[in-house]
Amino acid sequence: MKTAYIMQKEIKESILTPKGFLWYNLTSVILSVLSYLFLTNSELSLLDQGEMLYMIMNFITALGVLIGLVFGADSFAGEIERGTIEALFLSPANKTEITMGKLGAALTNWGIIFIISLPYLFVVGKGGQNLLTGIAYLAILGTLLVITFSAFSMGLSARIKSMKNSLIISFFIFLLAGSPIFLSAAQRKTWFGNILDLINPFADAINTFDSVVIDSQGFSYQIGRVAIICGYTFLSLWFLKRSASRLEM
Amino acid sequence: MNYSPVFAASRITVSINPPSIQANMGDKITYTGTITNNSDKAVNNIIAYISLANVTRGKESPMDLEDWSANKAIKVDTIPPRGTYEGKWPMRLIDSGSYVAYIMVVDKNDNIPVSSAMSRLEIKRVLRLNPNNVLPVALGEPILLGIVFIFIYFRRKRVK
Repeated sequence: MKTAYIMQKEIKESILTPKGFLWYNLTSVILSVLSYLFLTNSELSLLDQGEMLYMIMNFITALGVLIGLVFGADSFAGEIERGTIEALFLSPANKTEITMGKLGAALTNWGIIFIISLPYLFVVGKGGQNLLTGIAYLAILGTLLVITFSAFSMGLSARIKSMKNSLIISFFIFLLAGSPIFLSAAQRKTWFGNILDLINPFADAINTFDSVVIDSQGFSYQIGRVAIICGYTFLSLWFLKRSASRLEM
Repeated sequence: MNYSPVFAASRITVSINPPSIQANMGDKITYTGTITNNSDKAVNNIIAYISLANVTRGKESPMDLEDWSANKAIKVDTIPPRGTYEGKWPMRLIDSGSYVAYIMVVDKNDNIPVSSAMSRLEIKRVLRLNPNNVLPVALGEPILLGIVFIFIYFRRKRVK
């Protein structure tokens, strides 16, 4: 109940404000441009329907993770810098409830991004293969990744107590996680690329999308990667719990 | 290695079919290459591949076939004496313009590659403004969210 109250407070402060809501306006504008380009631009429009869906799914996941990191970085360090953490600690909610409420708000944010992206996914993937399966995987893996990265960023924010620094470190982690995008196909096939792909939760998610949407492979092919992502999720939640318990007034 | 260019030139010949194509952007076409072994000895381990060059005025360049064709190179293990091999190159027409396609055959024992004649390819541009009904979503959703944004903005202002 107290967790729900904290979550509601966070949503009111971070999402239902003109500044907070602007994220979603920008998200829909970017998705509009991207899907229109995919479907009308000469070369892009002739990409496989599955490939377009896969690319849009990657973009939505990256966006969800990125906004989750910002939410996480602001969660405790932002409160400390604004001088509002004391008021929060004086509330009847304990640290775990506060932490879960904040994480819930970050997840709500992902939920809104996912709902915004649904019409685009349907338009881009219409008539193509594995649309519904792809959306189901996006919902599940996107949620796990947002929990992983938001919880990590929140834990960092609680430990470092500086929003700027936790944001910078979080962005570095995000860039590192997104590094497969910067590697060429040949580099990704080397032993270094293979290891990086396997231990990187973000790469695991986009490889799963590739396998499900483009190659039409079943769940048995995805188990290993999904298990790794789940492992990271538990690890991040443990890190967040440890970091939040150290917070003091 | 024993190179014999004159022999190589007459040993293998390759032809491309159809000799010309007129199609629209997005169409799928297939080129057929027929490799003929004109000698009395079997030809082993040869590589055949298709090339496409844009010959549209001002856009002259060889094309990267990655997006156009999934099956660029074919390895032929053996062609018996006086025998033929037929290879197929399906292709998706990505962009409009004038192109030429030709098939090359490379035998590692010869130092001259063998090329087919050029097949002319004319691709007509197809303009699609609203594929998959994307416009209602691409325009509608930002407008809808814009209305919600304005509602939140004025509600906050009234509360203050």
